[in-house]
Amino acid sequence: MPPIACGIGWRYPHYAELLEHPPALGFLQVHSENFFAAGGASLSVLKQARAHYPISLHGVGLGLGSACGIDPWHLEQLARLVALIEPVRVSDHACFARGLLPGPAGLSAHAVHAADLLPVAFNQAALDVMCANVQTVQDRLQRPLLIENLSAYLEFNSSDRSETAFLSELVARTGCQLLVDVNNLYVNALNAQLAGSTQDPLRSCQQWLDQIPAAAVGELHVAGHADCGDIVIDDHGSSPCDAVWQLYRYAQQRYAGVAALIEWDTDIPTLSVLLEQAHLLASFPAESAVVL
Amino acid sequence: MTQAELLAQAQQALLRALLSEGGGDDVTLWPHLAHTEAQNALARRGLQAYQANGLALAERALTAAYPVLNQLLGADSFAPMARHFWRQHPPQRGDMAQWGATLADFIAQAPQLQEEPYLADVARLEWALHCAASAPDVLPNAASLALLTQAEAAPVTLSLGAGVFLLASHWPVASIVNAHKLGTPSLAQAAQMLQADNAEHALVSRQGYQPQVRAVSSAEFALVTALQCEHDLEHALNQALALDSQFDFGAWLTQAFSAGLVSAAIHCSTPLTTQTTDFSITKKRRPCEDQP
Repeated sequence: MPPIACGIGWRYPHYAELLEHPPALGFLQVHSENFFAAGGASLSVLKQARAHYPISLHGVGLGLGSACGIDPWHLEQLARLVALIEPVRVSDHACFARGLLPGPAGLSAHAVHAADLLPVAFNQAALDVMCANVQTVQDRLQRPLLIENLSAYLEFNSSDRSETAFLSELVARTGCQLLVDVNNLYVNALNAQLAGSTQDPLRSCQQWLDQIPAAAVGELHVAGHADCGDIVIDDHGSSPCDAVWQLYRYAQQRYAGVAALIEWDTDIPTLSVLLEQAHLLASFPAESAVVL
Repeated sequence: MTQAELLAQAQQALLRALLSEGGGDDVTLWPHLAHTEAQNALARRGLQAYQANGLALAERALTAAYPVLNQLLGADSFAPMARHFWRQHPPQRGDMAQWGATLADFIAQAPQLQEEPYLADVARLEWALHCAASAPDVLPNAASLALLTQAEAAPVTLSLGAGVFLLASHWPVASIVNAHKLGTPSLAQAAQMLQADNAEHALVSRQGYQPQVRAVSSAEFALVTALQCEHDLEHALNQALALDSQFDFGAWLTQAFSAGLVSAAIHCSTPLTTQTTDFSITKKRRPCEDQP
């Protein structure tokens, strides 16, 4: 099996430190929207990083499942950044974020962006919306987009198929790839357990991983979560738990050495901790077969 | 109702619930959600999580863009204001750095802040600094300044550097901002200037990647305003000299170029009609003072 390209989510606290002595890494992941500015210091450091590493541009704002469509302004900023950085991958989430809300009396509806990754229904109408939006982005960028599975805290009752069926159809219709976040899977499974929908979170995650088209998976994410007792939150603010590492190993065996990322966004640890965990990502597949 | 209409309606209902004070009781949302008892309990908790995330994001975003306003109001007042602003003026775009542009107008209209009328101009200035940080980079061209010493048939003017913004305020806003950010002047001196109703012309520019603001004379303010409006240099300089016959253009240019305020001398593409401009202090921005 070829070596796995392993990366870290590169965030503001580590901008300078990483550039000072660039460590060996397969790639850096950044949030696309943080570099939409036309100029300034942030864009400059990203261009410097690009000289050392492939960049994975990970979006949080396209809102690909939004029934009102995506924001053309947002797509143009992304297209400009893609042209400038020439990233190794471009991704966003299987979520909605935008909607048209009625304005005050006498004023027309206006677009609102939730600045969050909101869940979509898994049905034909939602699939049609997401396919159209993904296709619009891919047509503009002239490259396939990677779509990440969501950690969701609400479930629409209009869903009529599984998440894996929805994502598989999305891949078949648009030619997009998938970014599989195994922590998101586990968070959803733990919350499903709280809601009485599953008895075995790990097993349900394994089934999820088995059900999506393996050849479409282009990146794996590993992260931590917070168990609040009555809900589990995907906060990217702690080390991945053992179960998430197990799922990662299972996914790597199934998806044959796909690029992998350790992702922290809150309580971000030292760079050395991130690098240690990135090395763990690379070492797992060499170990014995995983049994869940 | 078609499935597509139902999808849009469900998404609108969730957005409304997230932006409302009592989102958990939004009667338009619950008919769209999965409805076992356990699922409902988790959905209520999930909705709280989404709301909390949005409100925390609002506080973080406005604190980053308005650090001085945060200090002036105190965290106990700033945080509720940020949450109220989030609900009243939610983001319209998926780049949070774009959100908050209208906070100054929101403050100006807030009944509880009428006793502190300078706060709106502080907010205007901080937003200009926030925008200057990410403004398109402008490369200085020292060689072009030779144009100013040549006898040219076509009129010349000066190109301004990145992020230039002008604000004529009834209050010492540049001093207030610099007192909090740089310690110069001191907070006590800034307070005295405020009590004395000292008006200021504030000029934002960027040296390298560092936005800065300073109080400038009415003559310099008039000169830079005319340059920003793309008047030729002769006209712009006459504006300054009309206010200060001793205005030293040579000394000003040397300082302005080294500080990133001026980037180059260029030929005017289309000479503008000379007109008289009033540079007296006003609370309103002039038509040619583009929002950065």
